Amino acid sequence: MKYLQIAALVLLIAAAIFFSALGVGPLGRLQSAFLGLLSPLSHSGSVVKNSIGSLGTDLMTLDQLQSEYDRLLAENKKLRAENNGLRDLQQDNDHLRSVLGYRERSSFRLIPAVVMNHSAEAWWNTIKINRGSKDGIAPDMPVITDRGLVGKTTAVSDDMAEVVLVTDENCKVAANVEGTKEQGISAGARAPEGELQLAFLSKLADLQPGQKVYTAGVSGGIFPSGIALGTVKSFHARELDGEAILEPAADLGTLDDVFVVTGAK
Amino acid sequence: MRTTLLFLILLVLLPISIVVQDQLPPIPPMQERIFLLPILFCFGALALPLIPALFFALATALVQGLALLQIQSGQIELGLVGPIVFFLGWTVIFQMLSEATHGMRWEFHAFGSFLVTFTLLAGEFLILCVKRGGFPVDEMVLFRMAVPSAAALLIAPLLYLLLSSLVPYATEPVPGQGKPGFGNSGLEL
Repeated sequence: MKYLQIAALVLLIAAAIFFSALGVGPLGRLQSAFLGLLSPLSHSGSVVKNSIGSLGTDLMTLDQLQSEYDRLLAENKKLRAENNGLRDLQQDNDHLRSVLGYRERSSFRLIPAVVMNHSAEAWWNTIKINRGSKDGIAPDMPVITDRGLVGKTTAVSDDMAEVVLVTDENCKVAANVEGTKEQGISAGARAPEGELQLAFLSKLADLQPGQKVYTAGVSGGIFPSGIALGTVKSFHARELDGEAILEPAADLGTLDDVFVVTGAK
Repeated sequence: MRTTLLFLILLVLLPISIVVQDQLPPIPPMQERIFLLPILFCFGALALPLIPALFFALATALVQGLALLQIQSGQIELGLVGPIVFFLGWTVIFQMLSEATHGMRWEFHAFGSFLVTFTLLAGEFLILCVKRGGFPVDEMVLFRMAVPSAAALLIAPLLYLLLSSLVPYATEPVPGQGKPGFGNSGLEL
C-alpha cells in the first residue's frame, strides 16, 4: 500500500509540474478545450436562467401577443424605409467622399451573438457569448451593440467565446474626444466599477461633461475608428497628463445581444 | 469505494460550480460575485483522504486556472502555477486540521471557505499588481475581497448540508478506520 501512495504522490507532482510548465500556445489550446467542455453546461445554464427570469413576464394573452406583433411589424416597416433612405445617403456620401479624395467609410460585417453570462470574476470583467470559431469568431475581434463598443473577444472555443469588456483594465482602446483634437487611451480600473478612464490627454484639455468619445482606430489596432466608446463624466489634470472619466456608451450591466465585428464589408 | 464515489462526485461538481457561479446574479450595491468553487474545494479538502484530496486540489486548480486564464498580447497574466501551489497548500493545511480535530466539522468548512475565498482573491490581486504594476488598494478592492468571502461563509453551511445529504458518509468516520486524513489515505483510487 505504501508503494501505491508513493506512486500516487509522484504522479501528482509530475502532473503539477507538467501543467505549471505549459507555455502560451498549449495553455491557450487547453483553455479552448476547457471552454468547449463547459459550453453545453453554460448553454443549458443560460437557458434555465432565462426561463426562470422570464417566468411571469413572458406570459402574455393572445391579445397582448397580437398587439405586440402589430407593433413590431409597424416598426419593421419603418426601419426598412429608414434603411433604404440611409442606403441612398450612404451612396451619396461615398460618392462625395471619393470626389473630395477621402477614403470610403466602410461598414462592418457583423455576427449577432447572445450574452450567456457575465463571468464570476473579481479582477476581470468578461462575458461569454454563444458564438465561437464555428461561426467565424477569432480572438481579438471587436464586440459592439447598437449603442457602442462592448469589448473584444479573447478565448474562443467551437461555439462559445469570452469577451473582455471595455471596463476591464486589460482592454485598452485608443480614443478621441468629439469636437476636440484630444486623443487618449481608455481602460477600466483593476477593480472594475463600470466606468472608463481616458488617460494621456493634454493637461490643458477643455473637456465638458457629456462630450462623446469615439474609437480612434489606430493602425495595427483591433478597434475600427468611429465606434462610440462613451461620454465624458468628468476631467481632471494629473501631474503629467489629463484624465477623463467616461460613462460607457453601451449599457454593460444589462447586455443581452451583441455583435461581433468580423471585418469590413 | 466510498472515497472513489465522493471523489468522482466532487470532480463532476467542479465544472458545474463554475457554470452556476457564472449564472448567479451579483450582490448589490457593488455588484460583487459569489464564488462556489472555493466552497466546494474546502469540502473536498476536508472530507477526502490525503492523496485523493491532493488530486482534487490539482483538479480544482486546473478548473480555476483555466476559467481565469487571460492571455493578452502573448503574455499570460495568471497561469496555472499560482492556483496549483495555492490549492495544494490549502489542502495540506486542511488535512492537518482534519487530522487534529478527528474529522470534518461544518464550522471548519464555513471558516475554511471564508479563508480560501479571501486568500484566493487577495493572491490574484497581488499577482496582477506584480504583473501590471502599481498597488491600487482602495475601498472597492477591499469590498471585492471581503463581500465574496463573507458570502462564502454564509453559503458554506448550505453546501455542506447539501453534499452531506448527497453523500451521507462523506462527513462520517470510516468504520474501523477512524477519520480520513493522514495515516489512512484511502487509496481506493
